[in-house]
Amino acid sequence: MPRTVQLFITCLLDSLYPETCEAVVRVLERARVEVQLPRGQTCCGQPAFNAGLRGDARRMAMHTMRVFENAQGEVVVPSGSCAGMIRHQYPELFADDAEWLPRARALAERTYELTEYLVDVLGVTNLGARYAGKLTYHTSCHLLREMGVDRPPRALLAAVQGAELVELPGAQECCGFGGVFSVEHPEISSAMLERKIANIESTGAQVVVACDAGCITNINGALHRRHMPQRAVHIAEILGR
Amino acid sequence: MPNSFHKAIKSALADENLQAALDGNAERRTQGRLTAFASLPDAQAMRQRAHAVRAEVIEHLDRYLEQFLTQVQAHGIVVHQAADAAQAVKIILDIAHSRAPAGPITLAKSKTMLSEEIHLNHALEQAGIRPVETDLGEYIVQLRGEPPSHIITPAVHLRRQQVGQLFHEKLGVPYTEEISEMTNTARRTLRQAFLGAQIGLSGVNFGVAETGTLVLMTNEGNGRMVTTLPPVHIALMGMERLVPSLDDLALMMALLPRAGTGQKITVYVSLIHSPRRPGESDGPRERHLVLVDNGRSAIRQTPLSEVLYCIRCGACLNACPVFREIGGHAYVGKQGEYSIYPGPVGAVLSAALFGASEFGHLARASSLCGACKEACPVDIDLPKLLLRVRAGEVSPVTPAKKAVPNAPRTLKLGIRAFSLAATHPRLFGIAQRLAGLGGKLAAPRSMWMRLPALTGWGANKDIPRPAVRPFHARWKARRKADAGGGRSQAAFIRKMLPPSPERSLAAPPSPLMGEGVGLRPDGENTGLARFSAELEALGGSVTLCLESELAGRILDLLMRRGIQSVMAWDARGLPRGLLEVLRRGGISVQHEPDPSLRAGITGALAGVAETGTLVIPGGAGRPLTASLLPEIHLAVLRKGDIYENLSQVFSLREVREASSVVLVSGPSRTADIEMTLTIGVHGPGEVHVFCVG
Repeated sequence: MPRTVQLFITCLLDSLYPETCEAVVRVLERARVEVQLPRGQTCCGQPAFNAGLRGDARRMAMHTMRVFENAQGEVVVPSGSCAGMIRHQYPELFADDAEWLPRARALAERTYELTEYLVDVLGVTNLGARYAGKLTYHTSCHLLREMGVDRPPRALLAAVQGAELVELPGAQECCGFGGVFSVEHPEISSAMLERKIANIESTGAQVVVACDAGCITNINGALHRRHMPQRAVHIAEILGR
Repeated sequence: MPNSFHKAIKSALADENLQAALDGNAERRTQGRLTAFASLPDAQAMRQRAHAVRAEVIEHLDRYLEQFLTQVQAHGIVVHQAADAAQAVKIILDIAHSRAPAGPITLAKSKTMLSEEIHLNHALEQAGIRPVETDLGEYIVQLRGEPPSHIITPAVHLRRQQVGQLFHEKLGVPYTEEISEMTNTARRTLRQAFLGAQIGLSGVNFGVAETGTLVLMTNEGNGRMVTTLPPVHIALMGMERLVPSLDDLALMMALLPRAGTGQKITVYVSLIHSPRRPGESDGPRERHLVLVDNGRSAIRQTPLSEVLYCIRCGACLNACPVFREIGGHAYVGKQGEYSIYPGPVGAVLSAALFGASEFGHLARASSLCGACKEACPVDIDLPKLLLRVRAGEVSPVTPAKKAVPNAPRTLKLGIRAFSLAATHPRLFGIAQRLAGLGGKLAAPRSMWMRLPALTGWGANKDIPRPAVRPFHARWKARRKADAGGGRSQAAFIRKMLPPSPERSLAAPPSPLMGEGVGLRPDGENTGLARFSAELEALGGSVTLCLESELAGRILDLLMRRGIQSVMAWDARGLPRGLLEVLRRGGISVQHEPDPSLRAGITGALAGVAETGTLVIPGGAGRPLTASLLPEIHLAVLRKGDIYENLSQVFSLREVREASSVVLVSGPSRTADIEMTLTIGVHGPGEVHVFCVG
């Protein structure tokens, strides 16, 4: 019997990148997993939480918990920061709430980021994907440091047939997104992004892979404005090829 | 964000000197930290242990403080407790006025952030006392009349040309860009301050509750000078800076310098127990400990209490990408006043200590990337604390007092509208479609949009157009969905990507697989060999000789340097007959401190193999200045006294009982100007160990 996972597609991917969402589904199906998309899902609440607006964040978190409580099985999230929000911040958000804390913990325990799920849970690294050319990898901050997930995406990319992986200098440095930070502190955010762009350019790769739509939107925003040929793409776009 | 902060950010970003200096700092310090941590067998477990030690201390602070202060007093140190900055300043002024003779008073300071916190220098100057900063970086910023921009490298914002110009203008020396020359100038100038000061004032890195030890970690030797030479020493200590035992201290000593400067150990670690004892020829006759609360005990009751675990290594500043862009001086309060503590920990500390209404906005200047937590040697969850400051969770939790988030009003409104939609899926779907249609109207021929600059996003980057049909709307019919679409992001990417090669299931080699932290094989490299290798890496030398050869070897070295007079321990602490042979060889040997002597000869209680450290106790006939004032330090160490690690040495009775013990790891050094290493600052520039076996 195939495994069934509940996909939390995240608001940013849902709204801006429907084709990437399709790639996510394709990748999971390639790993022989049946994908369900629980109805009514919206946003995990991370923007409000990062803004310090915990009342709003709690409301969105409660909504998300209700949506997924009706869906059995592991929850897979194709975004490091949204997965981190559920796994690490929901318990913080409901620390003093006797009713919701156990519910937050229950969801946290069965929530996985996409690459973590593929490699650490399913034990899959080779999805039969092919790509001819240079790729480089940007380690999204929350995936790397909040979720502690670094090996899985690298292992998945390493197994892509034909791809030449080049290390991105300063791969672990933040791209400057940081959610509300990028609009509250655009000058600092841009200075950080500047360094990321220069590092991407130095690799000679046309494609920088990341596992978070936030970083991707931020990096591509600057690349497009400067008419640069490189693009940041979600890892599912590569693995789903 | 307040105007003052915005202005400071903009001017920092536009300052090319500052940007170059900050880039250098971030790159060198990060590399140094990673290399230094790689030499630990299990760094992550040590960080967790250190976290637990600090948590235990903060949880039971009253108990540990009582134990600590009882010990300190029993050793003859005068204890003063200050509830706030004003009291701390008054205590220090009172000590200065009552102990120092009439006339001008000079107070030589080693680096202490707490003195910045209580604005001590200003108060001293007002009272007619001359404070002289003796840490090179601190000296530079004092000459410039500005506060430190970093908690361990105060002049990190400056380049060598600026320091050369400063010394030229303020000290009347010729302009130079040679960092070693600038360091020499500081050495010469400050030596007068050490020798003439009536009072020495230092900070305290750690207090050890079990033994009442005051621990001071320095590299240049100025910390040793101010705690050894002036007749009165005042130690200024934050009340939270305790560890329960010497064993815990060994753990902190392994972590703090690795995190802060990439060193395995600082050149000097002073373990201070008491003032000068009868029969001793140096050390202050009076020691005072000023223990400062200034808001710390109040923080213990708040959701920010974890910030008290901080051991002030500065690693989070060096790791922070925001600090790298704006530097320490840009962290300012609402009124434009400097946040004494900058960077990630400073954003939390300043809000906690000095008020979230004045400094809470600093916590919003973070992308929450987590580099600070990763760098923190005691694993403080700084992103969590920054988020709590943003949420207004800065006071003791009571049902009556509601946390007030410090988000800007427009952001509050925006998030409120967003969360309203996000908790009503139908509404959310409608909003998504409206955004998609709006985008299509705004940018009919592009998949990209340009937002107005005032949104914060539009100034430097574009944003992809939202999809008219978001994914969830396509879900049911997804197999039929047109993957092409022409103008979609994915289609663009697909066009850009070159065609795929034939599919094969064989996995290629994995060039990016995690490399892991390699352990250095340490098989035969033990004892003396390890000790020598470590000390030599720090710029010291080790000579193995028989006891019968010792005097000859030392004489030989002195002759080659043309040295005829030395300062030395007396015969009780050195191999029998050594001083006799030296005297017969024409060397004049003194035991009293004399700054004109170029070489000092000491014994050593022990050596520590893993760090190349000499353990040198003070005491009668064992002046500490013999290993401090001269340019050349010669130490005699018995081969059998080399221990594997610090914990073993800390269990020695003499370490716990001496008035002071200093751990010496190589010649004195500084990297305060452009992170450039310079050997030989206030302490000796050469350390030669004669290992007798």
